[in-house]
Amino acid sequence: MSTRSLYVSADTPVHRLTARSKIGLATALSIAAFVFTTPIAVGIVLAVAFGALAWAGGLRNLRRVWFIVVALFVVGFVVWPAFTPARGPTVLATPLGSLSSYELRFALGRSFRIVSFIIIGLAFVSATSNEGIVRGLRSIGLPYAFCFAVGTALRLFPTFLSAADTVRQAQEARGLDLSAGNPIERVRGYVPLLVPVFVNAVRQVNDQSMALEARGFDTRGERTFHGKRPLAGRDWIALALATLIVVGTLVGRYGFGVGAL
Amino acid sequence: MGGNQGMDESESDGDDDETSVAEAVAARLREVVFSYDPYDELPAAEDLDGEATASRSTDPDERGGPVLRGVELTIPEGGFTVVMGASGGGKSTLLRTFNAVIPDFIRGSFDGEIEVLGRDAAASRVSEMAEVVGMVFQDYETQLFRTSVPAEVAFGPENLAVPPAEIDERIDRTLGLVGLEDLDRASEPAGLSGGQKQRLVLASVLAMYPDLLVLDEPTSDLDPRGTHELVDVMRAVAADGEATNDGTSGKRASGAPEWAPDSAVMVTHKVEEALLADRAVLLRDGRVFREGPVRAVFTDVDSLEDSRVAVPPLVAAFDRLGWPADDLPLLPAEAAHRVHESALEWTPPARRNEAFRDSGNGTGTTESTGATGELGEPDGPGAPAGTGRELGETVFELEGVGFEYQTDRGPIRAVDGVDLTIREGETVGIVGGNGSGKTTLAKHLNGLHEPDAGSVAWHGRPVSGLSMAEIGRGVGYVFQNPDHQLFAETVREEVAFGPENFGLSGEDLDRRVREAIETVEIDDLVDRDPFTLSKGQRQRVALAGVLATDPETIVFDEPTTGLDAAQQEQFLDLIARLNRDERLTVVMVTHDMETIARYAPRTVVLENGRKAYDGPTRDLFADPGRLDAYGLRAPHVVETANELTDDSEDEGLPALSVEELVTGLGGPGAYGGDRDERSVEPASKGEDA
Repeated sequence: MSTRSLYVSADTPVHRLTARSKIGLATALSIAAFVFTTPIAVGIVLAVAFGALAWAGGLRNLRRVWFIVVALFVVGFVVWPAFTPARGPTVLATPLGSLSSYELRFALGRSFRIVSFIIIGLAFVSATSNEGIVRGLRSIGLPYAFCFAVGTALRLFPTFLSAADTVRQAQEARGLDLSAGNPIERVRGYVPLLVPVFVNAVRQVNDQSMALEARGFDTRGERTFHGKRPLAGRDWIALALATLIVVGTLVGRYGFGVGAL
Repeated sequence: MGGNQGMDESESDGDDDETSVAEAVAARLREVVFSYDPYDELPAAEDLDGEATASRSTDPDERGGPVLRGVELTIPEGGFTVVMGASGGGKSTLLRTFNAVIPDFIRGSFDGEIEVLGRDAAASRVSEMAEVVGMVFQDYETQLFRTSVPAEVAFGPENLAVPPAEIDERIDRTLGLVGLEDLDRASEPAGLSGGQKQRLVLASVLAMYPDLLVLDEPTSDLDPRGTHELVDVMRAVAADGEATNDGTSGKRASGAPEWAPDSAVMVTHKVEEALLADRAVLLRDGRVFREGPVRAVFTDVDSLEDSRVAVPPLVAAFDRLGWPADDLPLLPAEAAHRVHESALEWTPPARRNEAFRDSGNGTGTTESTGATGELGEPDGPGAPAGTGRELGETVFELEGVGFEYQTDRGPIRAVDGVDLTIREGETVGIVGGNGSGKTTLAKHLNGLHEPDAGSVAWHGRPVSGLSMAEIGRGVGYVFQNPDHQLFAETVREEVAFGPENFGLSGEDLDRRVREAIETVEIDDLVDRDPFTLSKGQRQRVALAGVLATDPETIVFDEPTTGLDAAQQEQFLDLIARLNRDERLTVVMVTHDMETIARYAPRTVVLENGRKAYDGPTRDLFADPGRLDAYGLRAPHVVETANELTDDSEDEGLPALSVEELVTGLGGPGAYGGDRDERSVEPASKGEDA
């Protein structure tokens, strides 16, 4: 029952857009997050992405990966200043070293950027079914086999999580305690978890590819797409908005220096 | 529908093979030899004739060399064929030749001719064969690729380039046929129950409108009602075939929709389900050992035993009664009818001391009277019931246990307000429909789940206050799939894992491991790699790994899934022996009603997470109406006994095993001919028994 994909089955305005428009918006936001460097400008992009994620009902996915998000943010925030020249007034002085305002703003901007990418991606997969993703990727010209592989990987993610959970329970029932012992013993403790998970995954992938072919899947043949939606009015608006974001971002950043440190 | 009709059909069975030549053919295999080893040098089919040689392992799963050893088989068009045989006999391998998975996808070493619906399957691609052959594999988890129900069903037709407008129609039709029409269309396939998933896979395959439907154990994870419903779908699907089985359900419904497959072939280990097919094929050592109409094959006790297929329980019972071999009943109504026509009298079993009921060898049929006989009565609600043995102290005390899962559509109450007391030395079966909360409840017993509501106490101590290490020492848990826990390089290491974790070492550890290995009788495998063993052997290794921690209780989750009849019997007898000799407390979660009937004197039924019944298994089975309401079905033996009891004046309890049914009908060899014949020929052949 813990088997859940990242897709949130709901009918929100974000869901109602076709995958193609969502890919457009996600790309536009990612470009903005990449181009801007000040914490405020990137923070605005992050806030928009976060809003989209919440609108699509995808906050529960954030709960599943919050640890990774926080870890990436913290690591970025700590590591970036080491590679940034100190400029401007000192905000924090410790016996080990000091942090200038430039370093602080730079690190904050970069950490916001990496988190923005994750949130944009999460919002996209939360609001787009695997089939939608496959159709969307295909509509922008990627080969079907590649699109299908992406969709299947997303579909399998929760299945592997659930198998891993069963294995963990089976080994804990036999007394496996991952929190006990010195670091080497702890690492060794993962062997009884990883071997069955890996063996089952390999077996499952083989069975799955067999079942795929038996259902007539063949990248060489002709195929149809059920549930394909034509671009509606809202999609044209979304695509126009995406274009506007990209153009506005580039002109603002490189023409007027907006959002640059 | 009576005995005579059955006899006529059996007589006509003999020349069936000759007459079928003229009929249309769904699949024809000629001298098919296949080995999974791509470098195997295949001997010619005729050289593979005969018995397995002495040098080969007794366990067919681990033999090297060809799995199919010269298969000659014709599946006539129209109708429902069932394929049975011992584990490792080549059943799944055979099915995979029908849609070119063998030799196109799994290359191995192949020789022979396969013609399926007029196509040369041996020279076709799997995706080409998919246009005419629909295949449902064993593991439904690996056959769901999509994120919504309609998208899943649409996948096959999309691959066949069916126009989207027509796909809509196919989705409605096939979901309706498999009984999923009311399912929320936005549901995610991954989040459905096991039974729903199995049906969805079937619908998805049917939506490709195949001419031949091939199924590999499609009901392995279905509850008894789901199994029956699915087999009914199969029968409906192949309905325009000529029925040769005169089963009690009569001729099949008016006919299947024109888009449904003409023919179906299914592999199963469940013999009572197999009886609903038209034709049967028995495989042994990679060859067709016996084939023909279901009635002819399943009353051929010698052939069944030779191919290690379970003899249908009613056939076994009537064979033991001395019934003529050409008139053995397959289904409960036929069996009851046979008894009425004969001189046999039915005496329902009385309550007796069930603790001494041994599985399988019939000693339990000895009636005990007097004081011990009364012990079989339930002592009251919640008390361990139906066992006459002196039960020990209370092991588990569950009060108002509730557990919730979080899902997309809000929380699901998987277990709700369950009270349960389990005492030392009991064998308790936990049954219920798919998704009724059986496994969730069982996982509370060793602390894998902690209740959201209520409490679980183990020897008076709350489980929530115990560490996994503490409770794990006392309560073992054998998971459904042994592959979820095997990881070590040798069987010995695998078995030692648990006791080592619990701090054993040196002499003590060796002794524990040795004892556990001896108990499950895998002494000769200690140095083998667990991954190279057969499913039955892996199941035993997993059990040894749990036994080595010396638990006082073991929880078994579906102990019989994936095992053939002989392996199931062995494994369950082993559990029964541990319960009897070592006073092991046994909790079994299962869908298999025969397992419950034969091995668990007490049964707990769950329904939507709530406890619906808790008491003697015999009393549960005495009330078919109640069983039906729970989504369960009595095994054929029980159903027959209930019918006989209903027809007699006696109040009585059902027989739970073949032995009890035979005893109730007068014992082995009791058959003395028909009522009419009795006056003519008073000396029955069974009287010396």
